[in-house]
Amino acid sequence: MNTQDIKTTLKTFILNEYLPGEDPAALTDTTPLMTTGILDSIAVLKVVTFLEDQFHITIEPHEAVVENLNTLSDIERFVTSKQV
Amino acid sequence: MLTETKTYNRSDAAPAVALTKPGTSRLSDHYFSRPAQFLAILIQFALLVVIVDYWRLESQSLTRLLCLAFVGFVVHHLLPLRFRLPFFAMLSLLAVITGVGHLGPNVFAAWLTGRLALNDFLYHLVPGLALVGIGLGLIGLCHLPIRFGARVGLVAIAGTGLAFLRAHSQWFPDISEMWVILGSMFMFRLMVYLYDLKHRTAPFSPAHAVSYFFMLPNVCFPLFPVVDYKTFCSTYYNEDWPRVYQTGLRWMLRGVFHLLLYRVIYQFAPLDVYKLSSALDVGGCMLGMYLLYLRISGTFHLIVGLLLMFGFNLPETHHLYYLATSFTDFWRRINIYWKDFVMKLFFYPTHFKLRKIGPIRAMSVATLVTFVATWILHSWQWFWIRGTPLFNWKDFSFWMILGVLVLVTAIYEATCGRKRTLTPSRLTLRRRLILGLQAAGVFSLMCILWAYWSCQTWAEFEALLDAASKPTFREVLIVLGALVLVCVCGMLWGWSSRETSEGRGTQASRAPFRFWPSTMAVTAGSLCLLVAPSVVTWIVPASKGLVGRLHSDVLNARDMAQQRRGYYEELDVSRMDNWAWHGAEEPEGWSKGRKAFFRPRSDFLLTDVVPSTNTVLGGASCTSNSLGMRDREYQKAKPANTYRIVLLGASNDMGTGVKNDETYENLVEDNLNSRVPDSRYSRYEILNLSVAADSILQRVLRLEQEGFEFQPNAAILSVSAVDEQFIASHLRKALIRGIEPSAAYHDIVQSVISRAHVNGKMPAVMIERRLQPYVTELCKWSFQRFAQQCAQRGIRPLVIYRPAPADFSGLESTARGKLLAMARDAGLQVIDLSPAFDSVTDRSSLILAKWDDHTTALGHRLLADQLYKDLVPVLFGSLSIQQTSLLQKP
Repeated sequence: MNTQDIKTTLKTFILNEYLPGEDPAALTDTTPLMTTGILDSIAVLKVVTFLEDQFHITIEPHEAVVENLNTLSDIERFVTSKQV
Repeated sequence: MLTETKTYNRSDAAPAVALTKPGTSRLSDHYFSRPAQFLAILIQFALLVVIVDYWRLESQSLTRLLCLAFVGFVVHHLLPLRFRLPFFAMLSLLAVITGVGHLGPNVFAAWLTGRLALNDFLYHLVPGLALVGIGLGLIGLCHLPIRFGARVGLVAIAGTGLAFLRAHSQWFPDISEMWVILGSMFMFRLMVYLYDLKHRTAPFSPAHAVSYFFMLPNVCFPLFPVVDYKTFCSTYYNEDWPRVYQTGLRWMLRGVFHLLLYRVIYQFAPLDVYKLSSALDVGGCMLGMYLLYLRISGTFHLIVGLLLMFGFNLPETHHLYYLATSFTDFWRRINIYWKDFVMKLFFYPTHFKLRKIGPIRAMSVATLVTFVATWILHSWQWFWIRGTPLFNWKDFSFWMILGVLVLVTAIYEATCGRKRTLTPSRLTLRRRLILGLQAAGVFSLMCILWAYWSCQTWAEFEALLDAASKPTFREVLIVLGALVLVCVCGMLWGWSSRETSEGRGTQASRAPFRFWPSTMAVTAGSLCLLVAPSVVTWIVPASKGLVGRLHSDVLNARDMAQQRRGYYEELDVSRMDNWAWHGAEEPEGWSKGRKAFFRPRSDFLLTDVVPSTNTVLGGASCTSNSLGMRDREYQKAKPANTYRIVLLGASNDMGTGVKNDETYENLVEDNLNSRVPDSRYSRYEILNLSVAADSILQRVLRLEQEGFEFQPNAAILSVSAVDEQFIASHLRKALIRGIEPSAAYHDIVQSVISRAHVNGKMPAVMIERRLQPYVTELCKWSFQRFAQQCAQRGIRPLVIYRPAPADFSGLESTARGKLLAMARDAGLQVIDLSPAFDSVTDRSSLILAKWDDHTTALGHRLLADQLYKDLVPVLFGSLSIQQTSLLQKP
C-alpha cells in the first residue's frame, strides 16, 4: 500500500467515525486532529486499533502520542516507519 | 550516561527562539518593538511580585522566591540560548538550597555583619544541601550503565529507604524540613522520567534533569503539578518569547485572583456543618467546599505561569473547570497534568495490554485501574507531605465514584460519539443551552461529591443532607437561580477545545496573539488588586475589618474550632514561615492540663473545675482554688463589708491562656480594691464561676446551684457571639450521655428536644444541626430565668457582652445585637464591652496563637479597662468613677 492509499484509508475512517457529514475536502493532510480535540484520548485508542488491524502493525502505548498521530501525514509517516 | 541524546532526534526539539534572532526580524522590530515588549513584561512581572507581597499570598518564602525569580528572569532572558537552561538549573538549585533552610536576606545580612556565626549560617544550608544531594543521587541511579530494569529496581529500593526515613523524620531533626519538598519533587516525576528514559522520547542532559526535578517554584509548593518530562523539554521556547512570557504573566495574575477568591470563600462561606440550619446553608456549604479547590488551581496557575517566564511553554491547566459539561470534560480540564500523567503511566499501558478483550471492556478496566492508581498515588502524596499514610474508605469511594462517572461518560462518548467539527462553526442557541444545562448538572453533582469528600465522617455528610431535607420554596428558588447562573456561564464559556499537554509539544497553529491588549489587561488587573483595598475602605469604612481578614492568613472559625479541613486543605503546609509545620495544629503540651483541670459531672452542668489544681491551659499556667473556681482563694462565707460579685462565663472569662492575675475579672477586682468606689465597702470580690464551653443554660444553672451560696451582691452573666452554638453543643452532650435536665429546666429542654426530633443515638453533628432553630428560644428563656432568680434573692443581675478578640466567624455584629436585645427584653441591664478592642488595629494580635483563639493578656487588660469604666457607675453610681488605665500598670 503506497502512502497515498494509507492516507485515503485513514481519511475515510476518520470522516466516517468522527466527522460524519463534514466536507471531505476540509480534512487535509495537515489538519491537526489531536491538538484540536477531534481525536481525544478515547478516539486515539480506536484509531490505534484501526491502524493495527488495517496495516498489520503493532503500536506501543508510548507511540500513541501527538507526534505520531496529530495529522494524516503524521499517521501515514508513522505507519510507513512501522511497516519497514 | 546522563547526556543521552544520541537516540533522540525529534524535529520539534529545536526551540523556536531562533525566530527572535535579529537576522530574521525587521530592524525596527529588533531595536524598538522587542525592547518595549520586554520592558512591559518586566513591569508586569514586578507588579505581580508586589501584589504577592502586598496580599501576603502563601508565605514569605514565596515573595522571596519571586524576587529571586524576577532577577533570574532578566539574566535568563539576556543570556544566549545555549546558556539559558544551565542557568535555570543553577537558579533552581540556589532556590532549593536557600528556600528549604529559610536562608533569607536577613540571615545572609546577619552573617555578613558578623551577627551570625559562620557555623550557624552554614547550618541553614544543611537541609537544602541534603535535598540536593539525595536528588542528584536519585537522578544518578536512573542513568547507571546497567540494565534498565536493574536501574528501576535500584530507584525503587532507594525510594523505599527514603520513605522509611520520611516516616521517621524525627531521627534527623536538622533536615526535617526537606522531606516534604523532596517528596513533591521526586515522588511522581521520577516515574515520568524513567518512563521517558526507557522510551527515549526526549533529550537527556544534566541541565535538563536538574531543571526538571528541582524546578524553581517547587521549593514553595509541596502540591506541585506533575509536569511531563517530554512536554517540559519539547516546549522550551517553542514559540516566540513575547507570547510565552505574556501568557505566563496572564496565568500568574489568574493564579493570584484564584488565591484571593479562595480566601474570600475560606473566610466567609458557611463551611461549618454543625451550624447549618437550612437548605440554603447546605447549598452554600457544598458550594464553598467545592470552591476551596481554587487554592490548588491558583497555585498551579502561579507555578505554571512562572515556568513560562523561563521559556517552558507548558499547557494551560484548570481551564474553566467549574464549567465542565461532562465528567470526561471535567477530567480533561481540571488538573490536566495529573490526567496526562496517569493516562501515560496507567491508562494506555493497561488498555494496550487488554485490547484483545474488546475496546469497551479494555477501556473500562483501564479507567478503573487509572482511578485506583489515582487513589493510591494521592495517599502516597499524603504520606510524603504529612508523614503518615492515608488509606480510608472515604477517599477510596470518592475516587471510585468519580472513576465510574468518567467511565460511563467515556463509554457514552465512545459508542454514541460526540459532535466534532473540522471548522469552527457558530454554536446554535439550542447547542449552547444543552451545554449550559450539562455544565449546571455536572457542577451540582461535583458539589455534592466534593462535599462528601471534604466531610470528615459519613455522619457529617449525613447531617449535611439532613439539613437540606426540608427546603422551603424560597430556598429552592434561590438554589435554582444559582444553577441558572452556572447554566448561563456554561452557555457562554462551556465549550472547550480540550487542550492536552501533549498538544503543546508541537507548534500547532493557535489563535493569533495580541501582545499589547494582553499587557494592558494584566497591568490593569494588577493595579486593581493593589489599589482596590484602599479604595474600598475609603468608600466604605466599615469594610476595613473584612479587607483585614482577606489580608491575613489565619484559620477560619470552623478550622479554629475544629482544626480540620479537606484533603487539599490538610495538605496545605506551604505556609511554613508563618505557621507551625503542619498547618495550625497546637503544639504538644499546649492544653495538656485539660483533663486534669476539668471533671465530668453526672448532672445537667456536665462539667466543673477540679478544686486546688495547678496545670497548663492554652500555654499558660492555670490554677484553681479550693472552691473549684479558676480564681484566687476566697472564703465561702462572705466577709463583712465586702461587695461580692459572681461572674458566669466560658473559657475566655475563665482566662484560658493567661495567668491567674491576668484575667480581666481579677484585674477589675484589683482596681475596685485599690480605688474603693463605694465607701460602704472596704473589700470587693469577684468570684469567677466560669467554666470552659459552658452554655448560657449551664451558667444560669451554675449560679442557682453554686453561685447563690456565696451570697453575692451582684451576678454578672457574660455572653459572647458564639453562645448560641454552645447551647446546641451542651444539649447534644447531655443527650448522648443520657443526662436528664434539672427539674426547673426539664420542661423547656424536653419541649425543644421533642420539637427538634433529636435523640442521643443520632450522630452528634445531626443533633446540633437540628437544634439550631431552637437555640434563640433557649437563650431567651435563660435570660428570663437569670433575671427572675436574681430578683427573688435581691441580687443585682447584669449581662456583659464580651467581644471575641478576633471575629473569625463573622458573627460579631449580628450576634451581639441579637443577644443584647434578648437580655434587655428580659429586663436585664447590659454592658457592652465591644469598644474595648477598638484601639487595636490588628485584632488577630489579641488571640493566643494561630491554633487557639482565646484572648491574650493584652486583650484581658483592655476588657478590664472597659468593664471597670462601665461597671462602677452601674453598681456604685457615677461619682465614684475614677478613670484608671490598667494598661499603664507594669
